Amino acid sequence: MTTMPATSRSFEFEGVVRLTRIGIAFLIFTIFIGFAAINTGNNALYIALSFMLGCLLLSGIASKGGLKHLRVEFDRIDDAWAGRAAEGRLRIANRSHIWNVRDVIVASSQLSSPILIPIIQRRSEIAFDASFLFPRRGLVQVNTLDLYTRYPFGFFFKKRRVRIRGEVVVFPRLLDASMSDDRFRAVEGEYHLSNRPGIGSEGHSFRDYVRGDSVRHVYWRKSASLGRWIMKQTEVEAARVVQVVVDPYKPRGVSDDEFEHMISEAATFIRDALARNLDVMLSLPRVSLRAGGGESPAPIFRALALLDPSHEPVAQTIDRNSIVFAVRRADARASA
Amino acid sequence: MRERAREIELLALTMFAAIPLYATQTISATPLIAFHVALAAILVRVMTGRSPELIPSTVMRFLGIAYIFFYVVDAAVISRSAIAASTHLVLFIAIYQAIESARRPLDAQRLLTASLIFVASVATATHIAILPFVVAFGFLLFRQLIHLSHSETIALVAARPPEPPSNRAAAFYVCGTTAIGILLFPVLPRVRNPLVPGVVGSLSSASTGLSDTINFNDQRTITPDAMVVSRVWMGQEAVPFFTPLRLKGMIYERFQDNKWLQGARDLAPVPVRDGVAQIARASGFNRRATVQQRFLVGTRLFLPSGTYEIIGVPQVYEYPRREIYTAWQTRGDLINYDVGMAWTTTPLRIQRVPVTNYPVTPAVRAMALQLAGGQTDPMKQAARIESYLSTHFTYVADPAQLGKRMTVDDFLLKDHRGHCEYFAAGMVALMTALDVPARIVGGFYGGKLNPLTGYFVVRREDAHAWVEVFDGNGWRTFDPTPADLRPGNAQSGLLRAYASAINDSVNYFWDRYILTFGLGDQIALAAELMARARQSIVGVKQSARHTAQQVLSVRYLMIIAGIVAMAMIVYAIAMRRRPAFELLRDHLRARGIEVGPSMTMEEALAELHRTQPEVAAIFAPLIALYEEEQFSPHGRPAREAIRRRLAELRSVRA
Repeated sequence: MTTMPATSRSFEFEGVVRLTRIGIAFLIFTIFIGFAAINTGNNALYIALSFMLGCLLLSGIASKGGLKHLRVEFDRIDDAWAGRAAEGRLRIANRSHIWNVRDVIVASSQLSSPILIPIIQRRSEIAFDASFLFPRRGLVQVNTLDLYTRYPFGFFFKKRRVRIRGEVVVFPRLLDASMSDDRFRAVEGEYHLSNRPGIGSEGHSFRDYVRGDSVRHVYWRKSASLGRWIMKQTEVEAARVVQVVVDPYKPRGVSDDEFEHMISEAATFIRDALARNLDVMLSLPRVSLRAGGGESPAPIFRALALLDPSHEPVAQTIDRNSIVFAVRRADARASA
Repeated sequence: MRERAREIELLALTMFAAIPLYATQTISATPLIAFHVALAAILVRVMTGRSPELIPSTVMRFLGIAYIFFYVVDAAVISRSAIAASTHLVLFIAIYQAIESARRPLDAQRLLTASLIFVASVATATHIAILPFVVAFGFLLFRQLIHLSHSETIALVAARPPEPPSNRAAAFYVCGTTAIGILLFPVLPRVRNPLVPGVVGSLSSASTGLSDTINFNDQRTITPDAMVVSRVWMGQEAVPFFTPLRLKGMIYERFQDNKWLQGARDLAPVPVRDGVAQIARASGFNRRATVQQRFLVGTRLFLPSGTYEIIGVPQVYEYPRREIYTAWQTRGDLINYDVGMAWTTTPLRIQRVPVTNYPVTPAVRAMALQLAGGQTDPMKQAARIESYLSTHFTYVADPAQLGKRMTVDDFLLKDHRGHCEYFAAGMVALMTALDVPARIVGGFYGGKLNPLTGYFVVRREDAHAWVEVFDGNGWRTFDPTPADLRPGNAQSGLLRAYASAINDSVNYFWDRYILTFGLGDQIALAAELMARARQSIVGVKQSARHTAQQVLSVRYLMIIAGIVAMAMIVYAIAMRRRPAFELLRDHLRARGIEVGPSMTMEEALAELHRTQPEVAAIFAPLIALYEEEQFSPHGRPAREAIRRRLAELRSVRA
């Protein structure tokens, strides 16, 4: 199944039906033939009129009946970042027993471009790629999609708004990478211990010998004093960890855009840190999250996506080396 | 659909739309041929990959402006018909658009033009053969519309996905449109706008095989024509009395220069009361018949012999001859009406009828007297002459076989052979010789029964002439032409007869229910539907009353009681045999614990422990019994024990 993304949205309209130009011409033609039939009493014209009315009626029924039985569902959506196209997949099912539906345009304000589906056979289902575009971070409910079709004869442009159940956590908007470079300089080179036994140079703990242990790791002095073999364990060298603290306090006088920009900065910084193989420890009020070293960064970005501004200052423990992201009032910035 | 293939199909569709025009004579063949040649040339250019610009577009635009003036000249001078000139204009527009499409897309306009041409074709065609054209045109039009819809959609979204095939879709929509069209056709209002007269009148201008005069100076030629003139439906009991049919349309009563002429008559309206126009007095056996008739000579009615009243024709005139009737109907070439027919009819007003002015020669008079054989009763004289002519004279079906011109005297005295007009004229000459008023009647004779529909069909080739003799009160029919050789009595093979019957049935349906379907039919249809609905309601009511009476009888009550008892027993057994799980579930439900489909009894017991610990203590052993039965490999049937215990619990609670 081939579906085509489209670019123009000039076709969108409010309401459920619009008469096209050829539809208007056909309607006028039908009225003309109707007048001629009534005026002359010529049953041959009545035959033509019956067929033309039948054509109009069937066109309306077919397009309405076709759209009526379409069901759209979310199949999946990849990580969605505010302001960037997120690839997803939708499934569309035609439950009708009668109508094949052709030339269906799927449009929504949350789709980066309308999608054209050439045909959906009756009682069949197809899945197609969709490119979403969300302007802001947060939890976004994708509740509706608009389906348009001119099928079968192009007399009417029919629209149906379908309900779908889709919930997407949109990660914060990412800024240009260069913006966070300055802040990186101060934190590179920090090492932390992982507090886990493993291969490393620092000692971690002692334990009894078990079969299979290498004799190279026997701690002879302790073994001699205790009269049994004691093994020395080292501590795994931890990766470099960046502590990031995001202060959700939004004082009066600070605009939403400023707050969002701060969140974007934090997200961009975290993304860049992860790209440099640093581990990231994000501290938010009441929650600390860690990413890198095999742990997915998604929870961190999800937390940033869902972070609401606080109108009261929030107490947070800030380490000496932490990178703090916060917003300040303009007068405070000036005095600082 | 590839663009070139689509363009070829669109050109072919436009050419196809104009084909029925050749048969309708709305316009002459020359412009039609020019149209088809021009489009065929464009088609060839497109097929060979060249531009459709047969003529440069700039020249074509100039011609387009010039055609506006030509249209006026065409309507006023050349065609002398607004319809023909308009049809020429539409054909020109179709060619113009085909050429102009090389510069800008005009698909929608071209489809509308093709539709307009086709409607013009259909509007002037009255034969059922138009139907396959309608279906084929609908199929091609829908294919084009589906393609156009697809093209415009992809233009909206700036994409070019492959176009799905549209043959099945077009066929589907043709069937759907036809079905809706069939439903709509009878209910579209048949009310004519009285302010603007109709532009389509009767299409029939054909000669009938009957002529205004019977001219023995010219040698007559007859071309067999199977076109149906009239269809007459009558009840079975009337058939022996009124068949073979004689449809009367001409009366020849004056002789001049070896020609028989019709008498003149001013337009005389026949009073119509309650839709019935009485034209004669009836006596003896009478019945009604339904007639569907094609107008052949103006709007003249060809009434069956024995007709004394006409029903369903709003205005009837005695015109243009005495005892010949004309309907006032300006549109259509068919009419439906009923007639009252009687075994004997007499004129409404007693009149004196003169003997014809035929110049009787002594030889003819002698022959007449000889044939009368001393009879003085005019009817008996006529019967003897009729018998003699039909048995001693030779009937020649094709006048061309006579090979010469012949007078009536020649026919009677020398040749003794001729066609029906000679037989009729010969008998009138003999009756005139006996001073008995007689006249020649022209019309159609016979009528073949269509076994499929039960009506008699009369065709143009059944044109015939016979004689009416005045008996003092009214005209009596005599036919000296040998009965088995009369036109309407021609025999054909069984297969041919059935094929003809089927063909005619289809044509009848088309003529009756399509071409002549009118407001009266709509009213009749509505009345019939209402009557049937009323009948159905009455039937349902009666049936319900009858059923209620039966049900309330002792026997049925006993049967119902037995069924109810059986049902209760079955229910009780089913309840006793319910699995232990269901027994426990129902009792727990009564205690407010809903055991859902994914819930175990253990979970239900835990819930019960939490909410009602004392009840849980009672239920715990029962649930243990159930679990032992259900899950232990040595489990014993616990259902009966659980049921008994639950019954005890219920009685205690009660």
